[in-house]
Amino acid sequence: MRGYRALARATARAALAYRFSLLLGMVAVLVQLVALLAVWHVILEQSPMNGFTWPQMRAYLLVAFAAGTVVSILGDFRMAFRILDGDVALDLVKPVDYQKARLAESLGGLWIELALISLVVGVTLAVTGGVDLPPGPGLALFAASMLILVPLKFLIVYVSTLACFWTQNFMGVQWARLAVVNLFSGALIPLVFLPGWLATVAQWSPFAGLTSTPALIFLGQVDGREALQLVAVQLGWVLVLWFGARLVWRAALRRLTVNGG
Amino acid sequence: MPIVEARGLTKVFRRPDKGSGLGGAVKHLFARRYSDKVAVDHVDLSIEAGEAVAYVGPNGAGKSTTVKLLSGILVPTSGEVRINGLHPQRDRNTVAYQIGVLFGQRTQLWWDLPVSESLAVLRDIYGVDHATYRKRLARFDEVLELGEILPVIGRKLSLGQRMRADLAAALVHGPQVVYLDEPTIGLDLAVKDRVREFFRSLRDEGTTVMLTSHDLADIEGFCRRLVIIDQGRIIFDGDLEGVKDTFARERILHVETARPLPLEAVRAALPGAEINIEETPLRYAVRFDRFVMTAGQVVTVLATLTELVDFRVDEPSIEDVIRRVYSGDLVLPR
Repeated sequence: MRGYRALARATARAALAYRFSLLLGMVAVLVQLVALLAVWHVILEQSPMNGFTWPQMRAYLLVAFAAGTVVSILGDFRMAFRILDGDVALDLVKPVDYQKARLAESLGGLWIELALISLVVGVTLAVTGGVDLPPGPGLALFAASMLILVPLKFLIVYVSTLACFWTQNFMGVQWARLAVVNLFSGALIPLVFLPGWLATVAQWSPFAGLTSTPALIFLGQVDGREALQLVAVQLGWVLVLWFGARLVWRAALRRLTVNGG
Repeated sequence: MPIVEARGLTKVFRRPDKGSGLGGAVKHLFARRYSDKVAVDHVDLSIEAGEAVAYVGPNGAGKSTTVKLLSGILVPTSGEVRINGLHPQRDRNTVAYQIGVLFGQRTQLWWDLPVSESLAVLRDIYGVDHATYRKRLARFDEVLELGEILPVIGRKLSLGQRMRADLAAALVHGPQVVYLDEPTIGLDLAVKDRVREFFRSLRDEGTTVMLTSHDLADIEGFCRRLVIIDQGRIIFDGDLEGVKDTFARERILHVETARPLPLEAVRAALPGAEINIEETPLRYAVRFDRFVMTAGQVVTVLATLTELVDFRVDEPSIEDVIRRVYSGDLVLPR
């Protein structure tokens, strides 16, 4: 445990070493948030669409922002470059589980992210007005969903980064992941705005749990059994991906060649 | 029981065969062809606890691949490895505590953290208690002068500093077996000396060390046992001094004389030796086999023929011997 905690601390410190870049990344996400708020404000000002009113969409976008910021200070760059360079060889002679070690690194930055989220959400609410909180059970389910989101997001990033063992390139992997995640998670537009069949596919994919599920629960657009079902799907994917990732890792190890040096 | 044991260790890499140019690359997309490269070929090796072994071979001979197989990083195609009786892939976590690995061309430091913090993370990963950790750091500081680089951020380290920090990182948990793969590559002479001294202190403490190097000066004075690998196969495994005795018997005596030497008389007095005139006048080189005659005998003979001003004996270095083995004009017995 002590080793994993040390890894978590190391990532947080390394992230803070790049405060400026962290801040720039934050500004980029904020610009996107402001743009989306402005666009949806214009669209929904007159009449609701697909069951979304302007205050609801504002709440949706804020949840999407929070969900997008959690577990974003990832060790994925370091992990990818260590795989591509072959430095991963040295990670293999450490007495820690590779997957758990990477999870610990992802969790290390969580408190920085939570601080940033509180700040941005607080300021936005102060400027644009408050949001309605869901009733007790809904709020509890929302909290559970946000909690499950943490390992889910880590696993999606982790598995896709393992692809570097095969692709020998990281940028392509990262772009592909971002494109798929943005569309299928509902981070760009709520899933109900997609064509019916695509929305259904997205709903059952692991990506819906990254934005859509917590956001819909927060808005009260789903409740009771339906909400529980969505959270169950989210949790199911965490389990599938956790053990699936182990299989991918084993295959990757057999493939590992580590050229030179 | 040996602490490191490999039996029939073999690693075959599959390489894609791509034709040249864009055409070849496109063709490869549709019809993939691969060829096998045997990097390590049925290597048998056993190292006793506390032994220091040099593992040498030309570029691409399979040295690093062997080290990666022995430390459980790569999965062998066939054959097996045991470290203290354990399987380095299956018992990865247990074996990790017992081995330390340094790859001269790779780092395990955090690029964005000071060296001291990288080392502290490793300390926690290996569960080393603080008192032991401080003692080890103090020792590293003695030989490697680690103290001055502890506050430096990883990416700001010079190559020599990085290597010293990485050495500390590889040994922070006090492993019983240490693999050092090209540990002096790219270092300047002063740092090399310091690092070599550190290896000797490791060996003297009873750590089992396997040292892979290009620089044969790393080896001389460090270990008794020499293993030579070429094209994935071990072509020699034995005593370093033995190799020298067997293959470095030749000595060259350089003499400077007061008057010209009567060459014919020398040749008659020293049958089996070969005498040559060097570029400068009154300087000669006598080449002889040290098992046939001693340097003392040669000097005595020359002194009776003329007055000697100065002399010096050259013995071939282990480097010369190994170089000749690489180039194929010396075949070592197994």
